[in-house]
Amino acid sequence: MNPPSNSPLDGIRSAFFENWDPHTVLARRTADVDHIVQAAFDQFLTPVFPSGITVLAVGGYGRCELFPNSDIDVLLLTERPPHNDLTRDALSAFLRALWDASLRLSHSVHSQEECCMYHPQNVELNISLLDQRYLCGDRVEYDALAKRLPKFVSTERQTLVKHVIRQVRERHEKFHGTVYHLEPNVKESPGGLRDIHAIGWLNKLQDSTRDMPDWLGELTEPIRFLYATRCYLHFQANRDQNLLQFDLQESVAAERNLTPAEYVRQYFLSARRIHRSVLQAVDVCETLVPSGLFGQFREWRSRLSTSEISVSKERLHLKNPQVLESDPDVSLRLIRFSARHGLPLSADAERRIVAALPSLAAHYAKPGPIWNYLQEILSQPHAILAMRTMHETGLLAAILPEWKLIEGLVVRDFYHRYTVDEHTLIVMENLLSLKKNTDPARNRFSSLLSEIESVPALLFAILLHDVGKGIDGPTHAMESARLATAIMDRIQVTEDDRPLIHFLIDQHLALSSVMNSRDLSDPATAEHLASRVQTVERLRYLTLMTYADISGVNATSMTPWRLEQLWRIYAIGQRELTKELDTDRIGTAAAHPFLEGFPQRYLRTHSEAEVAQHIALADSARDSGVGIELSRQGGIWNLLVITRDRPKLFAALAGTLAGSGMDIVKAEAFANQRGDVLDSFTFSDPGRNLELNPPEIDRLRHTVERVVLGNLDATTLLASRRRPVVAKTKPAVRPAVYFDSEVSDHATLVEIIAEDRPGLLFDLASTISHAGCNIEIVLIDTEAHKAIDVFYLTKEDRKLTAEEVAALERRLADVCQVS
Amino acid sequence: MKKIEAIIQPFKLEEVKEALKAIGIDGMTVTEVRGHGRQKGHKEVYRGQEYQVDLLPKMKVEMVVPDSRSEEVISALSTAARTGKIGDGKIFVYEVAEAIRIRNDERGESAL
Repeated sequence: MNPPSNSPLDGIRSAFFENWDPHTVLARRTADVDHIVQAAFDQFLTPVFPSGITVLAVGGYGRCELFPNSDIDVLLLTERPPHNDLTRDALSAFLRALWDASLRLSHSVHSQEECCMYHPQNVELNISLLDQRYLCGDRVEYDALAKRLPKFVSTERQTLVKHVIRQVRERHEKFHGTVYHLEPNVKESPGGLRDIHAIGWLNKLQDSTRDMPDWLGELTEPIRFLYATRCYLHFQANRDQNLLQFDLQESVAAERNLTPAEYVRQYFLSARRIHRSVLQAVDVCETLVPSGLFGQFREWRSRLSTSEISVSKERLHLKNPQVLESDPDVSLRLIRFSARHGLPLSADAERRIVAALPSLAAHYAKPGPIWNYLQEILSQPHAILAMRTMHETGLLAAILPEWKLIEGLVVRDFYHRYTVDEHTLIVMENLLSLKKNTDPARNRFSSLLSEIESVPALLFAILLHDVGKGIDGPTHAMESARLATAIMDRIQVTEDDRPLIHFLIDQHLALSSVMNSRDLSDPATAEHLASRVQTVERLRYLTLMTYADISGVNATSMTPWRLEQLWRIYAIGQRELTKELDTDRIGTAAAHPFLEGFPQRYLRTHSEAEVAQHIALADSARDSGVGIELSRQGGIWNLLVITRDRPKLFAALAGTLAGSGMDIVKAEAFANQRGDVLDSFTFSDPGRNLELNPPEIDRLRHTVERVVLGNLDATTLLASRRRPVVAKTKPAVRPAVYFDSEVSDHATLVEIIAEDRPGLLFDLASTISHAGCNIEIVLIDTEAHKAIDVFYLTKEDRKLTAEEVAALERRLADVCQVS
Repeated sequence: MKKIEAIIQPFKLEEVKEALKAIGIDGMTVTEVRGHGRQKGHKEVYRGQEYQVDLLPKMKVEMVVPDSRSEEVISALSTAARTGKIGDGKIFVYEVAEAIRIRNDERGESAL
C-alpha cells in the first residue's frame, strides 16, 4: 500500500476556508478515512480473515463526524481474536497502515457477547456503540450484532441513562457549571460539543414510543457555529486543539470579518443554547427513571399546585399552556410561583414559553403594569432562580427588550470573567448571598442589607445598571440610566421607586471612582461624596450595589483590601451625611420663609408638591396652633404635624402613635428659623384598625391634636397598649448608643441602634426629654426589626457636657435593653 | 538595570500610571498592599464603635528600567505621587542582576 498523503486534508481545508461549512468537512473527512480503512482492510486482513472479523466505526467516527484531527475510534468485532502469528501479524499490519496514514487511531477488539454486555468499569464501550457504524468485513456477523444491540440497550436503558447524566454533571462541575470562560474549551465546556453528544445519546437511549422533544433539530445553528469553530481550531493548530484561546479568538474573528468580542459573543450565545438544551434533556430523562424513595420525595410538593400551575416531580407545569396566547401574564405568574417556592420550570413549561415568545414580546412592548409582577418576583426568596429562568428562556428579553443589548456581550480583557448579562445576574446573586453570609469580613455589608427598605428596587437597578454597555454613549452609566427611564415609564414603576432606581443606575460607579481617585482622609472627599449621594439611605443602597458589582467581575475581584476601602468610604459618607443634618441648612435665600433653617435633607427627600403642601399646612397652623395631615400610601400611613416647637413634643407624638397601636418605621423632626417644627412619622397599622374602621382615622387625628395642644398626656395612651409576643425567630440586634460632640458647633449627636419594639421611640425620646435635653433634629429608620435612630440634642442651647453624656448614655442603653 | 518600587497613595495610582506612560514606561506590576511608615494609623468610628486602622491601604508599583532611565522614572513617579502631605509614600531603588524573557530566553535590557 502506498504511504497515505495529507493532500485530502489540505483539499478539505481550502474548501472550508471558502465556505466555512463544517458539515462538508466532517463528511469528507469521514469518507476519506473510510476509504483508508477499507483499503488497509482489503490489503492486510481480507487475505487472512476471509470471514469472522468486522470493522466498526464507533464514537464520533461512527456518527460520521470526524473533525480534521479527531481520534479515529474503531472496534474490531470477532469471535476469535488473533490466535497465531499469521493472524497477529495481519492485524498489526492493518493497524500500522492506519497509523502510517497519520490517523490518530484508537482501537479495541471485542466479541458480540462483549458488545452486548454491560461493563461497569468501561461504560464508555457501551456508550460508543450507540454510535456504531459498519465499515468493512463480515457483514453477517455485523447484522447479528445490529440485531442484538437494541435489545441490550432496552435492558440496560436506565443504567446507561444514569451514566450519561452523571458524566454530564461531572464534566460541567469541572468547569464550574458555567459556559462563560475567557478561553472556553469548545468540546468539553458546558455548552460544548460533548453536550451535543450527550443529547444525542439520551435521545437514542429513550424508548422509541416516547415522544421526545427534537433538541438537536432546534440547535442546528449553534451546532453549525461550534462545529465550524472546532474545524478552524484543528486546521490552525494542525492537532486536536479545542481551546479557543485569546490569540485564536482574534484570528478566527478576523477570518469572519468580526471583532474578537463579536465572535466570542456568538460563541457564548450558541453555547448557552446548547447548555440549556442538555440540562432540559437531562431533566426530562431523569424524570423517566424510576427512583423509589427519592421519586416519592419529589412528589410531596405537588400539593402546592394551583388552578393554572401544577407541581410534579419538583417541576412546574402550566395546566393549560394555550392560555399563554390569551393571557400572557400567566408566564409571569409562573415565574413568581417559581421565585416563591424555589421550584424550577419543567422542560415542557420552558418550551411552551419559548414557543410563545413572539406573542409575549408583542404584548409586553405595550405599556402596562409589569412592575407589580417584577417587584413581587424580586422580593421572593428564590428571586435569582426566577431571573435566571426568565433570562434563559428569553422571557426577560421579551419583557425588557433592552436586555438583548447585553445578551452574551463580551468585555474582552483578562479582568472581566463574564459576559455582561451573566455578570449582571451574578451581581444580583452576590447581593442576595449577603443574607446568608457566614464570612466575618462581610458581616458589615450583610447588616447594611438588612437596613434598606426596598430590595426589589435595588435588584431592579442592578438588572439595568449595565444595559448601556450595549450602545455607544458618553458613559455606559448614563446610557443605562437613560434606557431605565424609558423602561420605567413603560412598565409603570411607581413614582416612589423611580428616583432611587435612576440614581443607583446613574451613580453606580460613584463609589468606585471615589475609591480610586480620591484621598479618603481629605475632608473634601467626604463633602464630595455627600453632595453626590445626598442621603444616608441612598448611600446604603449604593454601597451594597458597589459591593455586589465589584464582586461580580471575577471570583477574586473583591479583595480584602477593596472590601475595607469600600467600607471606609461608606463610613466616611455616613458620618458626613449625618453631620450635614445639622450643619447643612437651608439659608435665607429659601423659596419660602417656612423652609429657612430646615436641613438641606428636607429638600432632597421631598418633592416640590410635598413642599408646597407643607407650606400650606404651616399657613393653616398659624391660626389653629397645629396643622395635621394623616394619609395612607399602600399599607403604610403618614402623619405630618406642623406646630410651634415646645419641649417633649416629639416624645409625645411618638407616644401617641405607639399608644394607638401603631408601629413607627420612620420619623423625622426638624425646626425652622422661626420656631416652627415639622414632625413626620411613617407607621404601619398591624391591627388594620384605621383601614377597617374609617372613623378611627379622625379619632387618631383628634387625639394627635389634643396631645400637641397639651390637652392629653401621651403616657396614658401608651400604658393601655398591650405588648405583642415577640417572635422567637426575630433576629437579635446588639444595641449601641453613640455620642459625638464634634460634628456640630452647637449640638451633640446621639446615634442609637436597637431591636425595634412597640414604644421604643417614645421611650428613647422621653428619656432624652427627662434628661432636660431638647431634640433639635430627629431621623428615625426601622428595617427588619432594627431601629436606627439619630438625634441632635442641646441642653439650654448648648452641647451636652461629658457628665451629661455619660448619664444619658446609661439611661438610653437601659431603654434599648428592654424587650 | 534598576528595580524601582514605589509605595503610593491608592488615589494617586492613575496619575502615576499616566505620568509613566507619558515617558514611555508601560510595563509595571501593581499590588494592593497595607502598611504604615511614620504616618501610623488612625482611629475610625462607625456607630459608636471605634476601631484603630493600624495598617493603611497603599498601592505598590514595581518596575525594572535601564540604568539610564532610572532617574527620569523616579522623578516622574515622585512628582505624580506627591500631595505634600504625610502618607505620600516611599520609593526604593534596587540593582537588578539580570532580566530574562521567559518566552524566548532573551536577556538583559532588551528583555525589559
